[in-house]
Amino acid sequence: MIQPQTYLNVADNSGARKLMCIRIIGASNRRYAHIGDVIVAVIKEAIPNTPLERSEVIRAVIVRTCKELKRNNGTIIRYDDNAAVVIDQEGNPKGTRVFGAIPRELRQLNFTKIVSLAPEVL
Amino acid sequence: MRLVKCWFCSSTVYPGHGIQFVRNDAKIFRFCRSKCHKNFKMKRNPRKVKWTKAYRAAHGKDMTQDKTFEFEKKRNRPERYDRNVTENTLNAMKKIDKIRNQREAKYIIDRLMPNKKKVFKDAANELDTHIHLVRAPESLQQDAEKIKVDVSKNKSVQNEAMEE
Repeated sequence: MIQPQTYLNVADNSGARKLMCIRIIGASNRRYAHIGDVIVAVIKEAIPNTPLERSEVIRAVIVRTCKELKRNNGTIIRYDDNAAVVIDQEGNPKGTRVFGAIPRELRQLNFTKIVSLAPEVL
Repeated sequence: MRLVKCWFCSSTVYPGHGIQFVRNDAKIFRFCRSKCHKNFKMKRNPRKVKWTKAYRAAHGKDMTQDKTFEFEKKRNRPERYDRNVTENTLNAMKKIDKIRNQREAKYIIDRLMPNKKKVFKDAANELDTHIHLVRAPESLQQDAEKIKVDVSKNKSVQNEAMEE
């Protein structure tokens, strides 16, 4: 359950460290975003000397949430943190590596690049 | 379909039950119900919580080593389907289950039964070392008589003298 003002960790090496959600892409008045949704976020913390800087507005896709993810087969998955991967307008990741476990749902949503970079797909 | 064991209580997690928690290092913790999940969130150690399998195994409450446990194991190599093997396995499962239940029950009965040899040995040892504490019945009788005589004689003599 990601909403505007939610802080997220960054699960890639794009250079951003912390994001803050400011808008959810999809419908006009959408309240919450879940795993696989694209959000507009602002970079709150960044690693120095990287292409991304603090207070830059970017797009990101949510890859992990503390709120449980329910699958059609009845399993429920919960992660440790809220995390996102920074993407460009076409949906390709800006970083070259992805960290941590990534759910399989992203593959169906055409984020195959992220899934293939992930060290662990659940 | 794979049945997995609960991380906390070691019971079987059936499809559609429980919850999975994925830590950031991608280790998966599966729980059979919210009770186990909550206990995990409270950072309890399953070896120290009395109702878990881990506690009972660690404290010698349950049978842990037996041939019947060898059958139920995680096997990562898929078995090639064979009709006869499947049928035999299904038949064997019932039998193995029955044997295991019997052995587990016997283990608990054996554990609860007092060890007769040890009890007898302890009693014999106590008798040897503490025999001096036991007094013969005759000596007890003598003591009782003495006390009676002393008290009654002294009192009567003194009282008469005072009255005169």
